Order: sequence, then structure tokens, then C-alpha cells
Amino acid sequence: MVARTILMIILALPYMAFSQKLVSRNGHIWFYSHTPIEDIEAHNRQVVSILEPATGDIAFNLLIRSFEFRKALMQEHFNENFMESDKYPKSTFEGKITNLDKIDFKKDGTYTAEVAGNLTIHNVTRPLKVTGTIEVRGNLVTARAKFIATPQEYNITIPAVVEKNIAKEIEVTVEMPYSSN
Amino acid sequence: MQKKFRYILVFLILALIAAYAAWKYTFKESESNVASRKTDITIEAPALVQAFETNEDSANSLYLEKIIQVSGTVGSVSEDSLGYAVYLKDKNSLSGVMCSFDRASFDPSRVEPGSHVIVKGLCTGYLLDVQLNKCSVARQ
Repeated sequence: MVARTILMIILALPYMAFSQKLVSRNGHIWFYSHTPIEDIEAHNRQVVSILEPATGDIAFNLLIRSFEFRKALMQEHFNENFMESDKYPKSTFEGKITNLDKIDFKKDGTYTAEVAGNLTIHNVTRPLKVTGTIEVRGNLVTARAKFIATPQEYNITIPAVVEKNIAKEIEVTVEMPYSSN
Repeated sequence: MQKKFRYILVFLILALIAAYAAWKYTFKESESNVASRKTDITIEAPALVQAFETNEDSANSLYLEKIIQVSGTVGSVSEDSLGYAVYLKDKNSLSGVMCSFDRASFDPSRVEPGSHVIVKGLCTGYLLDVQLNKCSVARQ
């Protein structure tokens, strides 16, 4: 994990200026859980992402602890009991835009982007395919996507006491503002 | 009889206090939590960044989940759908301290790039930058 982060930094920073990699240091990923008992949402506004327009490579890296809940106690349970943030502090996605020929990063517009890759949550890596959008406005590039994640598939155990409060399927929303430096 | 009544009264009052404490504890809001909590560590932004760059594990054991008051130079201020991100960064370093603020706890007109600020927040770890959550401006 540490090696990967270092690699990301090495890859991202020195070459950014001349290879036109798009970087986001404060991207926003949030999830939403709906049950008849309660709705829960948590926001992570410090997601790091690197998008390479030339190759379509796209990577996300976030700290589980940076998810903010409205209730402090809920955040505590999320980190300590569900996600085991001490053992697995990060979550990552590495993938590729598969319809790169349909996206013109030099021309303003909103493009449909198909992304395929591997999502790692709670030390479990699973393939993920998502259709999202990429919006180009001059120098500003914003990527948006929505997908469903199932806690069970990532070996996240929900204690029986709160089982009814947490949805089986969690809606995850991604909003990444990129800049080229 | 009167003695028994007094016991019941005392018991009821204690039960009410306990219920109120439990309610406060369960429903305490995350926001109020950080701004009102005692600062654990006061440090300059470059020193905090350097600690994580040098050894992430030992820095985590020192700073993770701690309320940190960090002073530094504002590199940039950006807005997102929930509030603002203030990026404390020195010109000559590759990473900095990324501080996220809720909209209600930040006035962007008072913080400009290049100015010096003191930010209080909860340290959640390190990716490209050290991350502080639920921040408030301690002093400008």
C-alpha cells in the first residue's frame, strides 16, 4: 500500500507539467444507504485521483477515515467495526476508460465514459464496470459516476443489531474535479 | 411513606439525567465535536507533512485521529458541494495539508492564497497530502 502511494506520487508529480496528467486532490465520493428505518450518508471530500487523457488510465485513492458522517458515533462504528480502518486504511480503484475514442479532452462538452477496473474495499478486490460522464470546460475536467456496492461482497460484516438500519446495496456517487497542475 | 416517595423522586431524577446523557452521547453531531474538542497537538504545516513523508507509520501513530492545530501558508482555496477545501502548501514542497471545511464553518472572503492561517481539524491520514477533516479556522 505504501509502495503504491509512493509510486503514485512518483508517477504523478514530476511529469504532470509536461505529460498532461489530470490530478484531483480533493475529489468528492459519497455513499448513501436507504432503509425504512433510517437514511445514512457519508462524504469523503479528499479523494485523490489521477486521469491520463492520452491512455485512459484512471486511478482513485481514498482514506476510509476521511468519510464524514453527521453523527460522530456512527463514524466511529464505521471505522472500528465495519471497515476496520486500522488494518485497511485505504480504498483504491484502478481502471481504464474503455471508450476513449468517444471523448475529446480538448473540446468542451459532456461525454459518456465507460470505465472498467478493479475496486478494492476492506482488502477485497473486485472487478467493477461503471458508466459515467466526463465534462470538459476549458481547463476544468469533471468526472461523475454512480454505482452500487454491496458490503457483503467486500467481506464487511454488519452486526445483527444494526442490520435493519443499513441497506444491502449502498449507492456510491463520484464527483472529481481535475486540474492539470 | 414520605421516605419512600423521596427515594422514588431521586431515582426518577437520576434516570432522567442518565437518559439525557445517553441521548447526548448517541446523537452528538460530528461537527460540534471537533471544533469544541481540546487540541491534542499544535504543529507547523511543513513539519506535519515532513513527518508523514519520512515515515508514514510512525506519523500515523502520532497524529491519526488526533485533533491537530496546524499553522501554514494557504496555497489554494476551492469550493465543493458541501463547503470548502483549504490547501496549506509551501511553494517548494510536493505535498501539503488538505483541510476540509463545512460551508457553515468557513468564510472564504477571510482566507486568501498566500496568507497565513491556523486551522484546527481531525487528522485522518496521508495520501498525496496530510488530510484534516471537520476543520475550523482557529486564528488568522
